[in-house]
Amino acid sequence: MALTALPSTPPQRPFAWGSPITYALALAVAAVSFAPVVYVILGGFRTTGQLAADPAGLPNPWVWHTYADVITQSRFWSQVLNSTIVALSTTLGVVVLGVCAAFVLARYRFRGREGLYTFFTIGLLFPAAAGILPLYLLLRDLDLANTYLGVIIPQVAFQLPLTIVILRPFLAAFPMELEDAALIDGADRLSFFWRILLPLSRPALVTVAVLAFVASWNAFLLPLLVLQDESLHTLPLGVQNFSAEHSQDTAGILAFTSLAMMPALLFFSLAERQIVGGLQGAVKG
Amino acid sequence: MRITRRSGAFFALVASITLAASGCSGGDSGNTSTGSELYKNPVTLNWWHNANQAGPFQTLWQKVADDFHAAHPTVTIKITAIETNDLQRNRIPAALLSSSPPDILQAWGGGEMVEQVKADYLKDITADTKAEVAAIGAASKIWSVDGKQYGLPFSFGTEGFWYNKDQFTKAGIAAAPTTLDELNAAVTKLKAINVTPIAVGAGDKWPAAHWWYNFAVRECPAAALSDASTKSVFDDPCFVKAGDDLKTFLGTKPFQPNFLATPGQAGATSSAGLVANGKAAMELMGHWNGGVMQTLTPDQKAPTFLSWFPFPSVPGAGGGQNTQMGGGDGFACSKKAPAECVEFLKYIVSPDVQKAFAATGSGIPTVKGSEAGLADPVLQTIAKATQSAEGVQLWLDTAFGAKSGTAMNDAIVAIFADKGTPQGVVDALKKATAR
Amino acid sequence: MTTAEPTVSLADRADARPAGPRPARSSRAARTRRKWYEIIGLTGPAAIVFAVFVLAPMGFAVYYSLYRWSGYGWPTEFRGLENYFGPYGAFRDPIFLDALRNNGIILAGSLAIQGPLALAMALLLNRRFRGRSVFRLLVFVPYVLSEVTVGIMWQLILLRDGTADTVLTNLGLGSLITGWLANLDVVIWTMLFILTWKYTGFALILFLAGLANIPNELTEAAAIDGASWWQTQRYVTIPMLGSTIRIWMFLSMIGSLQVFDVIWVASTPAVRSLGASNSMATYMVDHGFNQREWGYGNAVAVILFVISFIAALLFQRFVLRRDVEGALTRRVKH
Repeated sequence: MALTALPSTPPQRPFAWGSPITYALALAVAAVSFAPVVYVILGGFRTTGQLAADPAGLPNPWVWHTYADVITQSRFWSQVLNSTIVALSTTLGVVVLGVCAAFVLARYRFRGREGLYTFFTIGLLFPAAAGILPLYLLLRDLDLANTYLGVIIPQVAFQLPLTIVILRPFLAAFPMELEDAALIDGADRLSFFWRILLPLSRPALVTVAVLAFVASWNAFLLPLLVLQDESLHTLPLGVQNFSAEHSQDTAGILAFTSLAMMPALLFFSLAERQIVGGLQGAVKG
Repeated sequence: MRITRRSGAFFALVASITLAASGCSGGDSGNTSTGSELYKNPVTLNWWHNANQAGPFQTLWQKVADDFHAAHPTVTIKITAIETNDLQRNRIPAALLSSSPPDILQAWGGGEMVEQVKADYLKDITADTKAEVAAIGAASKIWSVDGKQYGLPFSFGTEGFWYNKDQFTKAGIAAAPTTLDELNAAVTKLKAINVTPIAVGAGDKWPAAHWWYNFAVRECPAAALSDASTKSVFDDPCFVKAGDDLKTFLGTKPFQPNFLATPGQAGATSSAGLVANGKAAMELMGHWNGGVMQTLTPDQKAPTFLSWFPFPSVPGAGGGQNTQMGGGDGFACSKKAPAECVEFLKYIVSPDVQKAFAATGSGIPTVKGSEAGLADPVLQTIAKATQSAEGVQLWLDTAFGAKSGTAMNDAIVAIFADKGTPQGVVDALKKATAR
Repeated sequence: MTTAEPTVSLADRADARPAGPRPARSSRAARTRRKWYEIIGLTGPAAIVFAVFVLAPMGFAVYYSLYRWSGYGWPTEFRGLENYFGPYGAFRDPIFLDALRNNGIILAGSLAIQGPLALAMALLLNRRFRGRSVFRLLVFVPYVLSEVTVGIMWQLILLRDGTADTVLTNLGLGSLITGWLANLDVVIWTMLFILTWKYTGFALILFLAGLANIPNELTEAAAIDGASWWQTQRYVTIPMLGSTIRIWMFLSMIGSLQVFDVIWVASTPAVRSLGASNSMATYMVDHGFNQREWGYGNAVAVILFVISFIAALLFQRFVLRRDVEGALTRRVKH
């Protein structure tokens, strides 16, 4: 199929017909997804006693201090900061290392390529909880315990298999003509990679970035073992400490986690636009 | 955090002057130890305890740490409060495995302590704590291994039924049940007024298991229980009888529906929450339950309708009808902890601190005489029952050790789920200990 | 993802080019050397980080699995394969076999439900309509929630006479009510429901990315040729999503085998101990690490790994091969 045959077309018009159906379906799906979350957010406006007495009810009375308690705790904000630092660093590391490796695995032919691919995917197959203890001992020996890097580097390592598995087919899908054209124009493979392939792969890159960010944001086991200093704690540890120090304060946990998920959602919103605006008419002749 | 050397010397100087001038404050009992090094150098003690609830108990420990620091300025105590199950099953074992375990750690005694001592993780404090052990009495034995003392308990109480007086009155139950038949009658009467008779947090396994333990204590003579704990011998048919009793009792359907999904203490959906909010009339639980219920009511106060009675006697059973099942909390020092740690342990069980502990209502103090400080009438009832009990038996899962304990609990839960048999519990115990 | 590809080889092209202003090409050997530098340089960092922090700990886990070890001190009681096949081994424990069965249910259920659901949603949400971004966000939110939150949330909602029961009764479906988390026959299906709720968002985001990769020109060409929306999806869009769908299937399959978080927080220890909702991973923690049987726990981890590995191999061989071949075998060695 000749990709150069068509002129670039204007953006799609909204469909006139069928849109009530689209709306209805989208609404139903969004409702089922989001309704339980509304429950969580509202739960933060109650006390644990209220929740125990009447789990299904609305806040009555509306309690503000649960959320206020969470926000005014200085530890919450330091945890947000820690989580952000760790998550952004992890995401950066994962995307950079992952796309380089995926590029090689996708577009080079060499002996041992499939072996290398299998080498990476093995990491997906092993339960993280089992490797945690020897990993912790290793980190201690490397003097990485109780540091940001002690969490970031292993998280990057754990996230690599997923990233490579996702990126490889995306990168492989670009037709050879693209690469040939670049090579003919005097570029070498690496600048083809850097100048042409990477920008075109934005949807895939952003996708793996979002997945890496969310995984890091919610990671619990590794930070639990590695980060002893409370000043370094990330948000999931904060939830745990909060719930433990407030005797399984259910309402407090709900408030805490409602607030904790906001940054991850923000990241997704920002990123989502990148995925959408990815490739419209980008492949021109 | 460690004090730097320069300021450390300064503090040491201040400390020795203060000590000479004012003597010891608080309850630093008896000998300030043979070590001439004691209190000379600045030390930081890491203290892990389970008072994770914001409240009087947590405040007490903070005060204890602050007071001890005021009396001995070279000693800084850094507290980490962790939820009790997490602390016992995850954090402490992981920490003991690492190179920096906490200096002062929560200890529950029994088989768990035996394992920790075998791996040489705890400090032997026998020589320094003779006076304290005498003041505490029989309960301190649970915190010793092979005759050597490794920890000191600060709280010990027996288990019983926390119940709603008002609902009992409404149901026409005249007096708290003292026999199993009376308990069954009470269950029937409560069902008649449409109240769930008994709440059980079977989701967490151990609250359900305690039912079997209590039946076992009723059915089994002391010798059988002792053989089971120390020699892992479960041949006495009383253990199967305990399961039969449980199964019969379950047949009367005394519990709330869906009990397998109900946690014991955690938050709004727990069995403690059910009783605290009047949705169930009784719960068989340890002495800490009042404190738990307090956090689960809309107004954060312990319900006033609470009262307590001990596990009823079982007609025709061969065990002690006035032996009470119980357990407690204590602290131990890790092997490499500084000598100041032992002094701090002694401070914790000193009479003044124990009286203050009694006043928080979070448990029952161990040192004789300090129970006078108990304000809560329910806790006073429990303290009296503990002291007048013929014998005291430690929770069976703690007594038997972690591995058999879990296997036993699983088998008991199977009975609750109508998938297990009384013989199954004994088989599980035998299998676990045979490994 | 692309369809036909020309078979003109690069080598031919190179020869066909007139010798122009380009500098003389380096020798074949130099090119190969350079290629290897690039390969090693680009994959090296990832490989090293991965080997040290993922593979090495895994190796230790295999080592530990051959011992009976309580977690205190170092392992000293060598037991060989006893943790696997011995009388107290995993394969002889009916609760472990229950976990295997549960994993199977989750695997089949996830593939059968999440895939089509996410695909339908992705196709719908790929069209422009007002509020599309908001809808995408709302659908993705469950995936973002931490497992602790998900567990508490569903425990509250699924309480007897709780929100779920109330909703069902109001819809007239009251007769369906059962102990969602307590009925031993039902609880695994409740788990599957919660997992579907949480992870459909993951499938969705993958499919959306895949859709974004499809050039508009193709779908517009189909529209111009008179195809209806549905026909366009069926004959153009979905086939082009093929490799994304297959990748998702692979990840979903592996994820189902490894599932831990949701099961751990949404079902109680009692229900898990009866084999009604446990997975191999929760079994590993419940019966291994939490009982201080570290050797046993690691053995279960190794079993889980081997099962996943076999599944992955089979999947790669029979399903993914198409993608790898289609995209690469028509390339020429260079």
